[in-house]
Amino acid sequence: MEEKDIKKPQALIEVIDSGPLKITGNFILKDLKRKSETTPGEIWLCRCGRSGNKPFCDESHKTR
Amino acid sequence: MERDKSLSDERKYSNDEITVYWKPVACVHASYCYRELIEVFDPSRRPWVDMKGAPTEKIIEIVNLCPTEALTWKWNDDERNRDVRSDQTNHVKFRRPELINQDLSSIQENPVSVKVMTDGPVVIKGSFTLAYSGNKKEVSDSLVSICRCGSSDHEPFCDGKHKKIGFTG
Repeated sequence: MEEKDIKKPQALIEVIDSGPLKITGNFILKDLKRKSETTPGEIWLCRCGRSGNKPFCDESHKTR
Repeated sequence: MERDKSLSDERKYSNDEITVYWKPVACVHASYCYRELIEVFDPSRRPWVDMKGAPTEKIIEIVNLCPTEALTWKWNDDERNRDVRSDQTNHVKFRRPELINQDLSSIQENPVSVKVMTDGPVVIKGSFTLAYSGNKKEVSDSLVSICRCGSSDHEPFCDGKHKKIGFTG
């Protein structure tokens, strides 16, 4: 029954406290600046603005 | 940050052919409008929309990029609004849900869209579970805009601050 529910969540978006944005599941990642479109299944996106590997987290948030 | 507090209302901006409607409360700061057409949509100007800044056709094109109903438009001549196509994101569409039912059903079956905006937030659209600060909620056909610059006053959500601090990334 659940599988037929088309409104079932397709992905899990997790905001890690003082950390990145973790996204897992069925999603398409479009990066407008770097012009890429992928379906990675799991990503960690930078939320602090300081990553050297944007849009992805490189753990720069841990260094002040 | 200078913000318009009267969030419940709707502003209108017209030229001879169309009226653009602006609903501040619906904006997620995806920033397509000013990035694509600063001549018309300039957040640092008051009023921020100048309908003389570009031809009608161009204004429609950019308003249609808005992922929310913050910016919508309609023809001043109501007769023309009857011919609106179902794929048009305009004022009429948001008031006639039957025009988007088809689109919605396909969205529900589709993967979640995660869009990293140029020098802006990450805009997430679709049916997903959102977990933050101990909260966990399931949403369907929804849209959230998550801050990437680290300076929002409404973390984890975008409040438009990236533009003020000159965030790039």
